[in-house]
Amino acid sequence: MTPYIDFLYFGVSLYVIIPALIIGFFKRGWRTWLVIATVIMLSIQYTHPRVVMGRGVSELALLLGYAVLQWVITIAFLSIRKKGINRAAYYTALFFNLLPLLAAKFIPFFNPEYPLLFLGLSYITFRVLDVTIGIQDNFIKDVKPLPYLTFLLFFPIISSGPIDRYRRFSEDWNRERSREQFAQDVDGGVQRIFTGFLYKFILAALIKQYWLDPVSQGTDFLHTLSYMYAYFFYLFFDFAGYSSFAIGFSYLFGIHMPENFNKPFLARDIRDYWNRWHMSLSFWFRDHIYNRFVFGALKGKWFKNSQTASNLGYLLTMTLMGLWHGTAWHYIIYGFYHGVLLIATNWLDKKYKGNRLLNDNGFFWQAISILITFHLVGFGLLLFSGRLFHN
Amino acid sequence: MSVNETVLKHLERFTGTDQVRKDLNIDLFGERLLDSLASIELVLALSEDFSLDLAPGDVDRDEWATPQKIIDYINARAKQA
Repeated sequence: MTPYIDFLYFGVSLYVIIPALIIGFFKRGWRTWLVIATVIMLSIQYTHPRVVMGRGVSELALLLGYAVLQWVITIAFLSIRKKGINRAAYYTALFFNLLPLLAAKFIPFFNPEYPLLFLGLSYITFRVLDVTIGIQDNFIKDVKPLPYLTFLLFFPIISSGPIDRYRRFSEDWNRERSREQFAQDVDGGVQRIFTGFLYKFILAALIKQYWLDPVSQGTDFLHTLSYMYAYFFYLFFDFAGYSSFAIGFSYLFGIHMPENFNKPFLARDIRDYWNRWHMSLSFWFRDHIYNRFVFGALKGKWFKNSQTASNLGYLLTMTLMGLWHGTAWHYIIYGFYHGVLLIATNWLDKKYKGNRLLNDNGFFWQAISILITFHLVGFGLLLFSGRLFHN
Repeated sequence: MSVNETVLKHLERFTGTDQVRKDLNIDLFGERLLDSLASIELVLALSEDFSLDLAPGDVDRDEWATPQKIIDYINARAKQA
């Protein structure tokens, strides 16, 4: 069963949500229920049989085996890190964290009959890497099995995020809610779930049926332009709706998942856009790829000019972000395109300091820059859709 | 030089304005005074000046949101070291 797809899923989920509300109200044993609820929901969500090395394995066993294996890698690295910085151990841990995702993405090239992928693997990989990086930076000093495995497998967000961070999750895990906080969480959860219904089941569904699907038949310029707008709006309402469900469910269990969208259509420039669109993903890439690359480059004096380091950081970060979506060329081009846009925006802002397009807060200049950004982003999503490459 | 003075000196350099000195609670990222690159340069400058072993993960936008928060953060880290 795929999460948040149909009303059956919501109906089934009531069996774990109603007890969560009762337990949350009485403030006892909520962590235990969170773990039990996750096990119940995962065993409903992961039912496809898989074949590994010629033997039938249940998808759930594959998922749990994966999680335990990652825990072993993580605590092994933690015990080495406690003795001091060991870069070889760090890179080895990162390699084994990434190996299942790489195998799942690249093995089907050679043998399509061998799908190791389970729904959500690419998202879990982000969380696994987050812990390893946190250990390396000495922010995570302790990885207990139960919070770690729950962090990886928490059912509301397992398939497509939002991408949580271990430091943030641990705070929620160790928190004791007052009754007032519990009421606020329920209120926040219910509001988000209803936003999800509006976005995903009403607006995205209408856009798809009456706009996106009809225009996707034509291949001339006007059809393609219309498709670009339709696809942009559809993707937003579909994914923001999904995220709203996932965050809403999490709130009901006392976990404050980070937000994923903040009015992306009002972005003033591309930098602003990435602070508003799929934020949990873009912040992960900013913190763990861009920041680390630029930090290393400046500290090691790899380039004469710090701006060069930053520009290469943008290209690297955004291209990897594109590649993470899939190995098809249009994803890589999509990422590279955004890297170039970020470089161009920064160049423009530094070369023409205080330029009105990016800095004047009057209505006219804001409207112009929002309109330009909207079209740059829309064209990016058109690249992302792969439509330009298939026709 | 005190922690305050050193942090503010670097902040002035990277943001190009003395607003950071006048208002210690100004939102550095929200007001777009500090961008991603400048925030990393700041971490490196501070880790050098205070001989602290700061990592890229130290740039947390919530913990580094204002000049005052950065001063508090560096004070806390210097105490630990």
